[in-house]
Amino acid sequence: MTLTAAGPSAAGTAEVFGDHVPQPAQHGRPGGVMRHLNAGTGIALGALLAIAAYLVTDLLIAPGATTFTFAPTAPLYAYFAGLCGWIVGFTVGIGALVGPYRWLIGRELTHADAEYLAGRNLGVSRYFKFTTDHKVVGVQYLVVTLVIFALGGTLAMLIRTELGVTWAEVFSPAIYNSMIGTHGIAMIIGMIVVVMGPLANFIGPLMIGARDMAYPRLNALSLWLLVAALPCLISSLFFGGIQDGWSVYQPLASQAPPGMLGYQMTIVVFAISTGVASVNVMITILMMRAKGMTWSRTPIFIYGIFAAALMGLYAFPFYMYSQLLGMGDLLAGTSFFNPLEGGSVWLYENLFWLLGHPEVYVILIPGMAVMMEIIPVFYRKPLFAQNMAIAGIVGVVALSGLVWAHHMYMTGWAPAANYPFMLSTELISIPVGLLVLVVIGTMWRGTVWTRLPVMAVYAVVFNKLIGGITGVYLSDVPVDQYMHGSMFVVAHFHYMLMGAGLFGAMGGIAYYFPKMTGRLFDERTGAFGLWTAFLGFQLTFGSMFVAGLQGQPRRVLQFDNLFNLSNWISTIGAYVIGLGMLLFLVAIVNSWLLGRPAPANPWGSKSLEWQTATPVPLENFPTLPVVTGPPYDYGVPDPYLTATTPAAGPTPHQAAAQPAATADPR
Amino acid sequence: MTEPGAVGVTDEPEAPTNRPDSEHRLRQWLRRPYVRAIVILTLILSLVMLPLGWLIVAAMNGTGGPASPVMSSIQLTIIVLTVAAVPITAFVFAVMLYSLFGWRHVRGEQVPKDDSPAIRTNTIGVVLWTAVSSALAVFFVAWGLVALAQITANSYGTLPANEQPQDLDPLIVNVTGQQWVWTFEYPQHDRVTSDVLYLPVDRPVYFNVTSKDVIHNFWAVELGVKIDANPGAVTQTGVTPNKVGTFNLRCAELCGMHHAYMQTRIQVMPQQDFTSWVREMGGGRTA
Repeated sequence: MTLTAAGPSAAGTAEVFGDHVPQPAQHGRPGGVMRHLNAGTGIALGALLAIAAYLVTDLLIAPGATTFTFAPTAPLYAYFAGLCGWIVGFTVGIGALVGPYRWLIGRELTHADAEYLAGRNLGVSRYFKFTTDHKVVGVQYLVVTLVIFALGGTLAMLIRTELGVTWAEVFSPAIYNSMIGTHGIAMIIGMIVVVMGPLANFIGPLMIGARDMAYPRLNALSLWLLVAALPCLISSLFFGGIQDGWSVYQPLASQAPPGMLGYQMTIVVFAISTGVASVNVMITILMMRAKGMTWSRTPIFIYGIFAAALMGLYAFPFYMYSQLLGMGDLLAGTSFFNPLEGGSVWLYENLFWLLGHPEVYVILIPGMAVMMEIIPVFYRKPLFAQNMAIAGIVGVVALSGLVWAHHMYMTGWAPAANYPFMLSTELISIPVGLLVLVVIGTMWRGTVWTRLPVMAVYAVVFNKLIGGITGVYLSDVPVDQYMHGSMFVVAHFHYMLMGAGLFGAMGGIAYYFPKMTGRLFDERTGAFGLWTAFLGFQLTFGSMFVAGLQGQPRRVLQFDNLFNLSNWISTIGAYVIGLGMLLFLVAIVNSWLLGRPAPANPWGSKSLEWQTATPVPLENFPTLPVVTGPPYDYGVPDPYLTATTPAAGPTPHQAAAQPAATADPR
Repeated sequence: MTEPGAVGVTDEPEAPTNRPDSEHRLRQWLRRPYVRAIVILTLILSLVMLPLGWLIVAAMNGTGGPASPVMSSIQLTIIVLTVAAVPITAFVFAVMLYSLFGWRHVRGEQVPKDDSPAIRTNTIGVVLWTAVSSALAVFFVAWGLVALAQITANSYGTLPANEQPQDLDPLIVNVTGQQWVWTFEYPQHDRVTSDVLYLPVDRPVYFNVTSKDVIHNFWAVELGVKIDANPGAVTQTGVTPNKVGTFNLRCAELCGMHHAYMQTRIQVMPQQDFTSWVREMGGGRTA
C-alpha cells in the first residue's frame, strides 16, 4: 500500500498502490538532471541570458538610431532581447524543458523518477523546484500571489499618497502614470491567480478525491511561467514604466517608453500560463473525480473553478493577441492599431475587452464558489438550492462573452451596438442574483458558527451588493454617459474585485489554511486585520464614489479643489486598508511559522478534502474514496415541518451517526 | 436559546393530514417571529437607503448642473434605478443582519454539536426570487433602452453634423483633442477657434469630435455629454444647453503624461452675448 521507491535498479517492477507495474530502464539516480535544477539555477541562467542578450543587441544597433517618436532605438530592442533571454533562460534553468527533452530522446520516466519529480523526501527544497505535486504547486502559488499583492498594494499606497497630497506633486506625471498601470495589472494578475492558483491547485484534487492534477508537469509549468512573468513586469518600472493604465489603450501605448514591452511580455507569458492551467483544471475535473462523484454530488467550488477555467481559456487568447499585435506596432512598425497608417484603435479596444470582461468573472466566480463552500460548513446546513447555484454559474459563463462592449459605450465605435450590449449586460444580473439567493438561502434560519472564514462572507456579500448595484448604473448607457471614465467606475470595480474578490479570497485562505499548512490560523489577528481593512475599504471607495459623481476623471494626479475632501478621506481609508492587510499578512506568516498544529478536520466539514490526514500525504488518500451522498449533508429535519413537538430537541449531530458520509474507504 | 428547537416554537404545528390552504400557510409563515423581524428590517433599511438616489444626484449637481435635458434624463434614470434596486438590497442586508444577531450564533473552537435545519431548497422561494429579479432586470433593460433612445434624440442622434436636419438652426462645433489641449472650431463663423467652449443657451449644438494623436474623451460634465475623441475618426454628439453659466470640460480618457491638466471651461451664454463674442473674435456668420 505504501509507495516505495523502486531504487536505482535496472528495468523491473515497482509497487504502485499495491500493483506491480513494469518499469522502463532507470538511467542514473531517480530524477536525473532534475536533481541539479531548481529556482536558483533558473534565475541564474535567466539573468545570464537576459544580460547577454541585452548587451549583444545594444551593440548591434547603430548608436544614435531613433524610433519614429524620436526616442533612442537601442533600449527598445535591447530590453526586448533581454526579456526574451530571461524567459528562455529561466524556463530552461528551472528544468521546464527536461520532460519534453526526455520524451524526444525516447527516455521514459520510471516510478522512482516520477516520485522524485513530485518531491518525495525532498523536504523544504521541493518548494524551490519544478515540483509536480499539486500541493506543492498550490503553496508556491500562495506565496507568489502574496508577493504580487505586496507589490500592487505598495503601489496603491503610493498612488493614494499622491492623491491625498492635494497641494503638491509628490511624483512626476510619468512616474505617477506608470504606478497606476503597474498597480492595475499587478492586482488583476494577483486576483486572477489568488483562488485559481493556491486553492484550485491544492484543494481541487483533494475535493474531488484525486491523487493529483491530470497533468502534474503542466501544473508546475503554469506556476513557473507566472514566476517568469513577474520580473518582466517589475523590470518595466526601470524602463520608463507602463504609463497607459492597465488597459494600455492604443495608440498611446505605441508612443510609450520601452517599459511597455515589459507589460506586453508579461501578458503573453501570463496568458500561456493561464491557458495551461485552465486546460489542466478542466481535464482534472472532467476525468478524475472520485468514483460515485456524479455531477449532482460535485461540490460547488469545483463548478466555480471549472467555469473560471473555461472562461479563461477563451478570453486570454484575445489578450495575448492584442499584446502581440501591439508589440508588432512597437517593434516592427506593423501599425495594426495606428489609424494614421490604416490601423484601428477600436480593434484594440475590442480585443482587449474581449478578455477584459470575462476576466472579471474569472476573478469573481471562484471567489463566490469558495464562499458557497464555506457557508454550509459554518451554518451546519446544506447549500440552499444547489441547482440554482449551478444554473447561476452556467448563466454567468454563457453571458460572459457577450458583454464586452459595455466598456466601449462612449467610444463612438458603434452607437447602435449600445442597445444589445446594454441588454446582455443587464441580463447578467439574473444569474448573479441566483448566487446571492443561494447565499442568503443557506444563511436562512441557520445557527452561525462565528469563525473568521464566515466573517469574510459577510464582508463579501455587503461589498458585492454595493458593487452590483453600482454596476447596474454603469451598465445603463445614459448613466454611463456621465460616469464612464470617472472615479465612480474606479470605486465600482474595486468593490467588485477587491471588496468581493479579495475579501472572499481572504476568507478562503483562512478556511483552507489548516489543510494547506498543517497549522491553525491565528484568527484573532486575522479577524482584526480583515475588519480593519473592511472599514478602510468603505472609507476609501465610498468617498471615491462621491468624487466620481462630482466629476473627477480617473487616472489624474491633480484635480480641482472641489475633489479635495473626498480624496483626503480616500487616502486615510487607504492607509487603514494597508494596516489591515499588513495585520492579515502578519497573521498568515505568524501562524504558518508558529501556529499550533491543525487537526485533520478542524471545521467538522464533510467534504472530501477534509477527510484526509493533515499534513496531506503525497498520495492524498491511502485508498481512493467512493462518494455515496450529496456534498453538503449537514442539518437536522426542519422543526417547522416535522409534526412532532420541537421540545423533542435536535437529533444528534449527523456526522456522529454516519462518520464521513461521503468518504467511504474502498 | 440553548437549542435550535427554541426558535421553532410556533403557534400551532401544521396538521399532518389535512394540508391547509395556501392563504393560511402564508399567514402562518408571516406569523413566524423571524419573518416579521426581517420584513420590518427590510422596510427600515429601504427607508434609510431610499434617499441615496437624491444624494447621488445632489453630488452630481454640486457644480451647477444639470445644464441640459440630457443631464436631466440621466439623473432621472439614476433615481429610478436606485429606487428599484433599494428593496432587494435592503432585503439581503436584512437577512444578513438577522442571521448574525437574530438567529442563534455559537462561538468557540469546537465544531457546533447541533446542526441547523436541512433546508435543501424551497420551490416558492426560488421561483419568487427568480421572477422578481428577472422582472427587475427586464424593467432595467426596458427603461435603459427607452432612455437611451431619448438621450440619443436629445443629442441629435449619431448622424454627422452635415446630415442633421438644419431647420433647428444648430450651432456646429468641431472639437479637436491633442496632447493636452482642447480646440474648439466654429465652422459656421469663419472657422473661429477657441480653447474655451463658448455656447449659446437654448440652441442645439452639434459636436464633431476627433483627435490629432491618441484617444481623448470629450466630457462636458454638467451638460452630460461624453464621447471619445479618436484619432483617424470623427464621432458625433450634440446637446442643447438650457442653463447660463460656467461649466467644466475634462478629458476622461488617459491620454499621456499631462492628462490631468487637459481641462477647460464651458461658457454657456445668451445668444446675443455669443454673437458679440464671435464678432469680437473676427467671425461673421457664414452658414
